[in-house]
Amino acid sequence: MSGLVSRRVVLPLLLFAAVLAVWEAAVPLLRIQQIVLPTPSGIALTMVHTAGPIAFHARHTLVTTLLGFGFAVGLGLLLGFAIGASATVHDAIYPLLVGFNSIPKAAMVPLLVMWFGIGAVPAVLTAFLLAFFPVAVNVAVGLATLESELRDVLRALGASRWQIFRKVGVPRTMPLFFASLKVAISSAFVGSVISETVASNAGIGYLMAVAGSDFNTRLAFGGLFVLAAMGVLLYGVFAIIERRMTAWAYTE
Amino acid sequence: MPADAAIQLRDVAFEYLTNGRVTRAVEDVSLEVTRGATVAFVGPSGCGKSTLLKLVAGLLTTSRGTIIVDGRPVKGPLENVGMAFQNPVLLPWRTVLDNLLLPFEILRENGDPRAPDRAVWKDKASALLKTVGLAGAEHRQPRELSGGMRQRVSLCRALIHEPRLLLLDEPFAALDAFTREEMWELHQTLRRHREFTGVLVTHDLREAVFLAQTIYVMSADPGRIAHVHEVKLPTPRTLAQLYGAEATALIRLMREQIRPSREAVA
Ligand SMILES: Nc1ncnc2c1ncn2[C@@H]1O[C@H](COP(=O)(O)OP(=O)(O)OP(=O)(O)O)[C@@H](O)[C@H]1O
Ligand SMILES: [Mg+2]
Repeated sequence: MSGLVSRRVVLPLLLFAAVLAVWEAAVPLLRIQQIVLPTPSGIALTMVHTAGPIAFHARHTLVTTLLGFGFAVGLGLLLGFAIGASATVHDAIYPLLVGFNSIPKAAMVPLLVMWFGIGAVPAVLTAFLLAFFPVAVNVAVGLATLESELRDVLRALGASRWQIFRKVGVPRTMPLFFASLKVAISSAFVGSVISETVASNAGIGYLMAVAGSDFNTRLAFGGLFVLAAMGVLLYGVFAIIERRMTAWAYTE
Repeated sequence: MPADAAIQLRDVAFEYLTNGRVTRAVEDVSLEVTRGATVAFVGPSGCGKSTLLKLVAGLLTTSRGTIIVDGRPVKGPLENVGMAFQNPVLLPWRTVLDNLLLPFEILRENGDPRAPDRAVWKDKASALLKTVGLAGAEHRQPRELSGGMRQRVSLCRALIHEPRLLLLDEPFAALDAFTREEMWELHQTLRRHREFTGVLVTHDLREAVFLAQTIYVMSADPGRIAHVHEVKLPTPRTLAQLYGAEATALIRLMREQIRPSREAVA
C-alpha cells in the first residue's frame, strides 16, 4: 500500500523533473529567445524575486475561488435535493439546468462586469456559476437512484417520505456529493481565474494578464506554475476529504 | 369471515398505469390466509406475484376488490409488516446492528409503542442474530459479509419489530443451493420462535413445498390463481421429505401447471 502511494508520488515527480531538465537544456541548445520560452531556472528566479506579489495574488484567487465554491455547494445541495426528491421539480428544472450548463461561462463575464464592475465580485460569481452544476446533478442522481426494495422496506414500517429522505436518501448520496466537490472546486478555480484575467485588479489571473501585456514571459510562466500547484492542491484536499467522509463506499 | 383469517383477499384486481398504458397485473384473486400459516405464490415470470405481495403490504392500492388484514381493510402501507427481497438492500454505511435498529428508529420517531428504549432493542437484535447463526456480528460492516449472511441480516431486519406479517419476495433466489436450504431451515426455526403469518413469492417449487402450508399456482396475462395445493407434509419439515413420493409428485404436478402458460408467452 505505502509502496503504491510512494510510486504514485515519486514517479510523476521524477517525470516532471526530467521534463524540466530537457526544457532547461533545450532552450539554449535550440537558441530559443527567453522572451518566447524562458528556461525553468529563469522562471524560478523571477518567482523568487516576485514572491511577495505572487503570494498576495494567489491568496486573492484562493479566496474568490473558495467563496464561489461555497455558494455553489449551498445552492447545488438545495437544487439537488429538490430535483432528486420531487419528480415535478425534476421535470421542470432539469432541462433548464442542462441548457444553462451548456453556456460557456466565460461569455457571461462581460455581463457580470457590467452589473458589478471590475473586481472580485465577477470572479466569485463566475466560480459559483461553473461549480454548482456538478454538485446539483450528483446529489439529484444519488437521491433518485434509491433502490425500490429499500423504499418498500421502509414504507412497510410506516416511514414517511421525509424519513426515507433523511435516513437513507441523504447518507447514500454523500459519496456522490463528496465526489462532486472535487469537480466543483476545480471548476470554481477555473471560473475565478478566467474572470480575473479579463476583469479584475487582483488575483493570479490578473497577474498573468499584466505580465502578458508587459511581455514578461517569465512571470506569466511563473503564474502558470502557481496555478497548477494551487489546482492540484485544492483537488487533493477535497479528494482526501472525500475518502475520509465516505470510506464505506470505497472498501469493497 | 372466519375468526382466524389473518389476510383476506376478495376479488382483488390491480392495473398498472404507465404513460397512459394499462397493464392488467392481477385479476379475480380471492383467498384467505390463516393466522400463523405461510402461503406461497409460484408461477411464470410476470404473472403478478410481486404485485400481489405489494398489494397485501398496502404499498399499492387495489384497482378493484378489497384486502383485509387483521380484520381491517388495507388503505395504505401497513405498519406491522416485515419485508425482505432477493436483494438484501442493507445500508452500507451502517453496521449490522445499526441496520437492525433502523426499523426501531422509524417506529420510535412515529411514536409507536413497540419501540421502548434502545437497550431493549439491542438485546433483541443480538438475540435474533444468534438465532440466525450470526452471533457477534453486530459491529461488522455489511460489505464484510457473504451474500448468505447479508440475506440473514435482511431477514432479521424484517423480523426485529415482531411484525405480524412477513412478506418475502424471492428472498433466497440469489443464494447457492446449499445456503438456500440452510435458509429454509432457518425460516422454520424462526417460525417456532415467534408467530407470524407468512407470504412467500418464489420460483423454487421445492422451496414452496418446504415452507408453505398452501401453495397458489398463478397463471399470467392477467395474473390469476390457477391452482391451489395444500402441502400435507408434517412439520417440522426435513429436506429428506422433499425427495419423498408425496413432495416429488406435487412438484412435478406444479411444474406441469406452470409450463403451458410459459410456452403460450413464448
Ligand atoms: N411498476 C410497474 N409499472 C408498470 N407495470 C408493471 C410494474 N411492475 C410490474 N408491472 C407489470 O405487471 C405485471 C406483473 O409484474 P410482477 O412484478 O408482479 O410479476 P412477478 O410475478 O413478480 O414476476 P417475476 O417472477 O419476474 O418477479 C408484469 O406484466 C409487469 O410488466
Ligand atoms: Mg417479482
